[in-house]
Amino acid sequence: MTERTLDGHVSISNLEKVYDDGAERTTAIKDLSFDIEGGEFASIVGPSGCGKSTLLYLVAGFLDETSGSIEVDGDPIDGPGTDRGVVFQDYALFPWRTVMENVTYGLEEQGYTKEERRSRAQKYIDMMDLSGFEDNYPKELSGGMKQRVGLARTLAYDPKILLMDEPFGALDQPLRESLQDQLIDIWGDLDKTVVFVTHDVEEAVYLSDTVMVMTRHPGTKKNVTKVDLDRSQTREAIITSNEFTETKNDVWKSLREETQPEVQP
Amino acid sequence: MSNVSVRSVDAVPAPLLRAGKFLFDWIPLVILTVLWEYASGTAVPAEILPPPTRVVGEIQELIVSGEVYSHLFTSLFRIGVGLGLSIAVGVLLGIGMARLDPVEDFFEVLLALTYPIPKTALVPLAILWLGVGTETAVLIVFLACLLPIVLNAYNAAENVDKNLVWAAKMMGTDGRQLFRKVVIPATIPEILTGVRQAIPIAFIALVSAELIASDKGIGYLILTAGQVGNYPTMFANIVIISAVAFFAVRGYEILRERVLVWT
Repeated sequence: MTERTLDGHVSISNLEKVYDDGAERTTAIKDLSFDIEGGEFASIVGPSGCGKSTLLYLVAGFLDETSGSIEVDGDPIDGPGTDRGVVFQDYALFPWRTVMENVTYGLEEQGYTKEERRSRAQKYIDMMDLSGFEDNYPKELSGGMKQRVGLARTLAYDPKILLMDEPFGALDQPLRESLQDQLIDIWGDLDKTVVFVTHDVEEAVYLSDTVMVMTRHPGTKKNVTKVDLDRSQTREAIITSNEFTETKNDVWKSLREETQPEVQP
Repeated sequence: MSNVSVRSVDAVPAPLLRAGKFLFDWIPLVILTVLWEYASGTAVPAEILPPPTRVVGEIQELIVSGEVYSHLFTSLFRIGVGLGLSIAVGVLLGIGMARLDPVEDFFEVLLALTYPIPKTALVPLAILWLGVGTETAVLIVFLACLLPIVLNAYNAAENVDKNLVWAAKMMGTDGRQLFRKVVIPATIPEILTGVRQAIPIAFIALVSAELIASDKGIGYLILTAGQVGNYPTMFANIVIISAVAFFAVRGYEILRERVLVWT
């Protein structure tokens, strides 16, 4: 293992998840081992139904593994914890709370005073370009704004690890791109580990240090691709670079074999 | 800017639109009243179908003489207590059934079996236990209102968005707090819908119970007026209780909108 400088190291070993509804046993994840360094941006791509969201929710502690282990900085996880923060695909904002009240939720649970909560939350509200919407309810916001609230809510209580479940999947292309760039900026500033689930290869390669491709059912690690891009460049420069195109094509081919197994060479 | 000016030329001012819709909504009632007025004394003898003008006069008299108030108050008190009890018990029971399997198993069959029973069929039995009066009426209102409230609370608590619960858990909420901070607020809209369904049911149950046996209340006035053939008074009381029920529902809906600004 390499020397790590940041907290938020996720170590998954021999993970197995079997859903058992009494009548039928379905293996969602099988024999999966994967290490994510502290501060790393790792994406997980795979065909739909491969268990990539299940994997994320196992790391979040929402689901229990059948066997194997998940450790964060050497400690096995035990249920959900504030060291990990999930950004949900459907935002999962509390509809009865305003933007401000959503973002302060985690701080409320950690016992901050009202003033501290508000000033901390305001920082992330501003970071996410939500100033002026503090007192709006989620129903009054567009999808892109809702997801920025979701991100602000999770960032506000400062988890070491961000677990993102196709967070931009429901948004249109320009909005996705702007949120992707915002996410990269934040990630660069905040020293957080990110585990990012997506079915979009371009998104995965554009954002990540590491892309793990998962096999089709039952899901396990197929391969891991290191992405080496100069992120100080503009989006246009990155997207049109050879390194980006080659990496993207490699990942795409690998994923393609899983979605279209019959056309394998 | 140009958009705004174009729109303001085309659009009918909002207050005017609202007034128009209001008038339109009341057209069927106006037609019915006119037909009633016309039919009374022509198609049907005025003695058994007094015309609306006569009924209005009677309502005026009941109000001016003050005779109706104590009965109306009694009826509203019975509705208030019965409905209040059914909300308290129904919400607890509904959420309890959704969250705890033994509670669910215990009450499910009972509720399914008692649902189709007309609650007013229990009035004779209730009189045996509780006598003629407020207790019986309250019990009938309570039973009639309980089911819509239980079922709405149960459904809502059963279907709380799993991601909301997970989101709260990841931020450190658990146990009883989870209940207070997520389950309750998430179920409130449907609980309030259950109450909305229960209000007219409360009026129906109450008047029915008072019609079968009572010492007081609007149902009692309707019954006694009918028994002596005083049909204008009978109709007047029916109109009064209908109007009160109508405004109770409208008032409640305005209140609900205020509470649920976030839906």
